[in-house]
Amino acid sequence: MLEMQGIAKFYGDKAVLENISCSFTAGSISLLIGGNGAGKSTLVRIMAGLSRPSAGTARFTGEAASSRSRRTGYLGHATFLYPGLTALENLRFWSDAGGMDLGEDDLLAVLGRVGLAPCARERAGVFSRGMAQRLNLARVLMPDPDMLLLDEPGTGLDAASRVFLHQEVLAARARGACVVLVSHDVAADAPLADRILLLDNRKLAFDGSPSDYDAAVRAEGEPCCA
Amino acid sequence: MLKKPDLAHILVVFGCLAVACCQWLVYVYAPSEVRMGFVQKIFYIHLPLAWWALTSFLVVFLGSIFYILKRAPGVDNLCAAAAETGVLLSGLALVTGILWARKSWGVWWTWDPRLTTTLVMWFAYSGYLVLRGLDMPGRRRNLVCAVVGIVAFLDVPLVFVSARIWRSVHPAVFAAKDGGLEPEMKLTVIACVLAFGLFWVGLLLLRKRQLDLRDRVEALKNMA
Amino acid sequence: MLRLTLAVARKDLLLTLARGNGLVQALLLGFLLFFVFSLSQGIGEHTSPQGAATIFWLSSTFCHVLIFSQLYALEEVNNARLGLLLLPAPIQAVWLGKSIAGFSLLLMAQAVFLPVAIVFLGQNLSGALLPALLILLLVDTGLCALGSLLGALQGQGARESLMSIVLFPLLVPLLLAGISVGSQAFGTLSPDGPGMWLKLACAFDAVFLAAGLLLFGFLYAGDE
Repeated sequence: MLEMQGIAKFYGDKAVLENISCSFTAGSISLLIGGNGAGKSTLVRIMAGLSRPSAGTARFTGEAASSRSRRTGYLGHATFLYPGLTALENLRFWSDAGGMDLGEDDLLAVLGRVGLAPCARERAGVFSRGMAQRLNLARVLMPDPDMLLLDEPGTGLDAASRVFLHQEVLAARARGACVVLVSHDVAADAPLADRILLLDNRKLAFDGSPSDYDAAVRAEGEPCCA
Repeated sequence: MLKKPDLAHILVVFGCLAVACCQWLVYVYAPSEVRMGFVQKIFYIHLPLAWWALTSFLVVFLGSIFYILKRAPGVDNLCAAAAETGVLLSGLALVTGILWARKSWGVWWTWDPRLTTTLVMWFAYSGYLVLRGLDMPGRRRNLVCAVVGIVAFLDVPLVFVSARIWRSVHPAVFAAKDGGLEPEMKLTVIACVLAFGLFWVGLLLLRKRQLDLRDRVEALKNMA
Repeated sequence: MLRLTLAVARKDLLLTLARGNGLVQALLLGFLLFFVFSLSQGIGEHTSPQGAATIFWLSSTFCHVLIFSQLYALEEVNNARLGLLLLPAPIQAVWLGKSIAGFSLLLMAQAVFLPVAIVFLGQNLSGALLPALLILLLVDTGLCALGSLLGALQGQGARESLMSIVLFPLLVPLLLAGISVGSQAFGTLSPDGPGMWLKLACAFDAVFLAAGLLLFGFLYAGDE
């Protein structure tokens, strides 16, 4: 679905990523881990097309090749919410803007899935961090994206919401979506993953299955500072 | 510093010499204008300044288009150098134009289309230079400046036409059929424009090289 | 494209008019300008029609800068700009949507400014009103096309003051057109009539609508 070849990224003259090559297939969950400042968020932004790599290419293949037909769900550090709009109005805007035809009942159902139905008509500006993150999650999941990029989605979420998050990630894979999950909580999220990628010191230090990763950890001590 | 003089240095030196030689044409060869007398000599400085200022802005425009299409960092420095040169020259053209207007039309400022266009360009590209000084990530800033560089130049003909509709009193220099200029004067003007052109190209290249060097120094500092 | 345009315009109008302090800031600034300029009239004097038209357009322009910086600031609170960039629709739809929202807000503000001009500056609408209405719409279109393009600078670290520095010189042709036809509506007799100005405003609109459509994508982007 997505092939990346020799990706490098510089901010000014500071290298953030160097020579990253990997590909992602539909119907899979990849867990992207690494220490602070390892370049995880930058890599995800390049995948989303929000950041242009300084070198190398990121190419979508198959049905996703055309940007018009591709639906990318990206959950980053910012929530993309308008504080002045209510939860419902926020979702309605993103549904209209994305060309989805969702009526009020559909939108309320989406809010219900993330447990925000009772505060559908409250302004997003008064939401707590966790509530805002749940609304953000609802926005990302609403169009059933075929490329789901989640950059630390667990931030601010309570235990119940994390369970919901895991269910949704698994459901997205079952639907055939390509999921990339950035996480610091390896123990909690590794069981979901088909594959683990470790970024260390701007480079791809490990790329393999979770069991291989466990083996590597046991063999070398702790390769990851997450 | 000048171990190996390059094109920019040679052009600047020859430009200066050529401009100096032109002074002979201006003060000795060209006849004195009947109505305005000696003050008319300003014209030989004013016209090259105005023309090459406009050419600088044209360079910014073309460079900006090229930058947007190809994203070559060198072109961005060329645009910066051209904008700085253009603002400098158009500022000087404005001062000389104001002096001319005072003597010729009796007022310091008038809504003459060319003067107005020069002033508006001076404003627009001064704003452009302020924008260049902003603290933005490098490539982002280059792109933003390229867009503004294009938009600003698109405005030139509109400003000119609008000022012309507003009020028009400029002497048509080459546009009128008989020209209003004696052959010696015409020759002097052309010589002045060409001589100043040499100087202008040299100045532009020199400034571009400075900016390139600054980028390299910054890069080295960041690497250290 | 059209759906994104409408969604953006509707959302911006909702956020500006129904939530937050909306147009208040822009209206107050414009109103204040009228009041201050009314001090330039001596006792028992009226501002000339041209003066009144100038103040009207000056207020509109300041108001327009505030409107567009406010509209583009909406996306910067929680970085919704990135969300818009990810939508499977051309990003120019955002430019168009914000132009439409800004156009509506500007018209609302001008609906207040017009009576204010009549009251505070002692004007009456004795001239031809149809061309005046036409030029109002044409000038507003141009203002919004360019304002929506340069408003995108808001997210790039440029503040309102800088936006005005870059924007105002470029708006000169439009403002001249608006002032000239506006003063005719307030009763100035002009031998040429509004024809030339209408054509000029149309040309300006065409150039900057095209420029906005082509260049907006470069300004409104993720990081480079």
